[in-house]
Amino acid sequence: MTVIEVDHLHKRYGDLVAVDDVSFTVGEGEIFGILGPNGAGKTTTVECLSGLRSADRGSVRVLGLDPRADREALRQVLGVQLQESGLPDRITVREALDLFASFYARPVPAAPLMDRLGLTEKAGARYKQLSGGQKQRLAIALAMIGGPRAVILDELTTGLDPHARRTTWDLVEGIRDEGVTVVLVTHFMAEAERLCDRVALIDSGRVVAVDTPAALAASAGQTQRMRFRPSAPLDEAALRALPEVVSVVRRGPQVEISGTGNLVQAVTSLLARRQIIAADLRVEQTTLDDAFVALTGHSRSV
Amino acid sequence: MSALALPAMRMTTKGFRTLTLTQARLLLREPAALVWLLLPPALVVVFGNIPAFTTDQKALDGRSVIDVYVPTIAAMVPLLVALTALPLTMASFREKDVLRRLAVSPVPAAGMLAALLAVIAAIAALGVALIIAIGALAFHVKAPADPASVTAAFVLGSGAVFALGLVVAALARTSGAASGAGVPLMVLNFFFSGLYFPVAEMPRALQRIGEYVPFGAVMAAWSGDGPLWRHLTVLAAYTVLGSLLAARVFRWE
Repeated sequence: MTVIEVDHLHKRYGDLVAVDDVSFTVGEGEIFGILGPNGAGKTTTVECLSGLRSADRGSVRVLGLDPRADREALRQVLGVQLQESGLPDRITVREALDLFASFYARPVPAAPLMDRLGLTEKAGARYKQLSGGQKQRLAIALAMIGGPRAVILDELTTGLDPHARRTTWDLVEGIRDEGVTVVLVTHFMAEAERLCDRVALIDSGRVVAVDTPAALAASAGQTQRMRFRPSAPLDEAALRALPEVVSVVRRGPQVEISGTGNLVQAVTSLLARRQIIAADLRVEQTTLDDAFVALTGHSRSV
Repeated sequence: MSALALPAMRMTTKGFRTLTLTQARLLLREPAALVWLLLPPALVVVFGNIPAFTTDQKALDGRSVIDVYVPTIAAMVPLLVALTALPLTMASFREKDVLRRLAVSPVPAAGMLAALLAVIAAIAALGVALIIAIGALAFHVKAPADPASVTAAFVLGSGAVFALGLVVAALARTSGAASGAGVPLMVLNFFFSGLYFPVAEMPRALQRIGEYVPFGAVMAAWSGDGPLWRHLTVLAAYTVLGSLLAARVFRWE
C-alpha cells in the first residue's frame, strides 16, 4: 500500500526555487530516506508533506489525505519531528508528553514510550536542562505519542555525538518494527545506508535517483576497490586481463585496483599463483557517497 | 469554555484543559512577565494613604479622589496583561519555534489563543478583585452610583483590549515586535482612560476620538458622556472582530 505519494511537487519562495520537480512514493512499513546536501529542498519537501506549506504545483497525498485540505485528519495519523522546533524552556518532559497526548484521539501511553526512549529518569527535568540527544529523543517521543501510522523525521541526528546517533538509529528501526512508515530526511550518507530501505537522492530541488542504497551505490560504477603493496614486481597486463578488473593504478609501492563482481577473489588467486603476497591489503566498497558524486557530478559537501 | 465553543475551535475538552493548565504552570514558573501587576495594587495603597484623597469632595459629588480613581486603577490590570503578558508570551513561543512544533500537532490556532487568554483573563480577574478588596476593606471606597453599567462597561472594555492583545499575539514574530505593538496600544488606552490627564479637559475632538478607543469608551460610559449603548457597541465590536481576526491571521512561525 502506498502511504505517501509526491507527484511533480514544485515550490518557490519569490525568485528562489526551493523544490523544482520532486516525485516519489513511499510504501507502508518502509524506512524511506530523503537524501541530499543542505539547501537541496529536503526540508521544504517535508514541510509540504506535513501541511506547513502549500505546493505551488504538483500534488502531495499522505495516507490518502491532502496535507492542506485535510489538515485535521492528517495531524491525527502523521507524526512529525521538525529540524527547527522547540519547546518552552520550563516545560518538563512528562508535561510535554501529556500535553501533546491530550491533542490526539488515540494517544499511546506516555510511560512505556518514555521507557523505550530512555527518558524515564528525565521525566521531571525541564526542557532547557536536557542534552541535545535527550531533546532529540523527546522530539521522537512527541512525534510518536499520537500513535501515528507514519512519521517524518527531519535531520534527526544532526548535532549528536556518534554514540547518541547509534542509539537513535536503533530507535528508528524500533519504530519501523511496529509497522509505522518512516520518512527519514538526512544529509548523512552512512545514516541512509544503515537505516533506509529506499532513498531518494535530491539535488537542487530535483530527484536525481530513487532506489535501494545498495543499488544506488552499484550504479556509481565500480563497486569495489582494493589497495595493497605487492611483495614482488607485478605484471599489470595480467591483472588487466582479468574480466573483473576495470583499472589498475600504481601509487608508489602501492597498487590500486578497481573492479566489479568477484574482484577480490580473482586478484588474490592470481597473486597466489605467482606467489606474491599482498601486504597492507585494504578493500573498499563503493558507498552512497560515491553514488552521490557520480549521479550529481559534484561532491555533496557544500 | 462552554461546550459550544470547543467544537468551534475544533478541540477536545481534554486537550483544551491540558493546554490551559500547562500555559498556567509555565506562566507561574516565569513570574517576571507578571511583575507589572504589582503596580496597580501599590497605587491604591499609596493613594489611600494620602489624607486629601480619602476625604469626600463637593466637586466630585460628595465622593473622594480615591473613590473615583479605584475604577481607573482597576482598568490598568486588564490593559497591562492584555497588551503585554498575553502577546509577549505567545510571541516568545513563536520565537523559540514552539509554535512551529505545535503546528504539526492537531492543536488549532483558536485553541492556542483561547487557552492563553483563559489563563491571562483569570490573572486579570484576580488582580481586579484584589484592587477592589483593598479599596473597599482598607480605604472604604464607595461603590459606583450605577454598578451595573460600570461593570458592564468594564467587562466589555476588558474584552475589547484582550481582543486587541490577541491580534498582536497572533501576529508578532518576536517578543520585541510584541512589545513594539502592544505597549503603544496600552499607552493609548491609558491616555484615553484619563490616567495621565483628565479626559474632561481634553479638546472636544480628542474626546470624540477617545470614545472609539476601548478604555476611552469605558470612561465615557462611566462618566455618562454620550449614549451608553453606543459605547457598549464599540466595545463589543472590538471584542468580536478582534478575536475572529486573531484566529484567522494566526502565525505558527
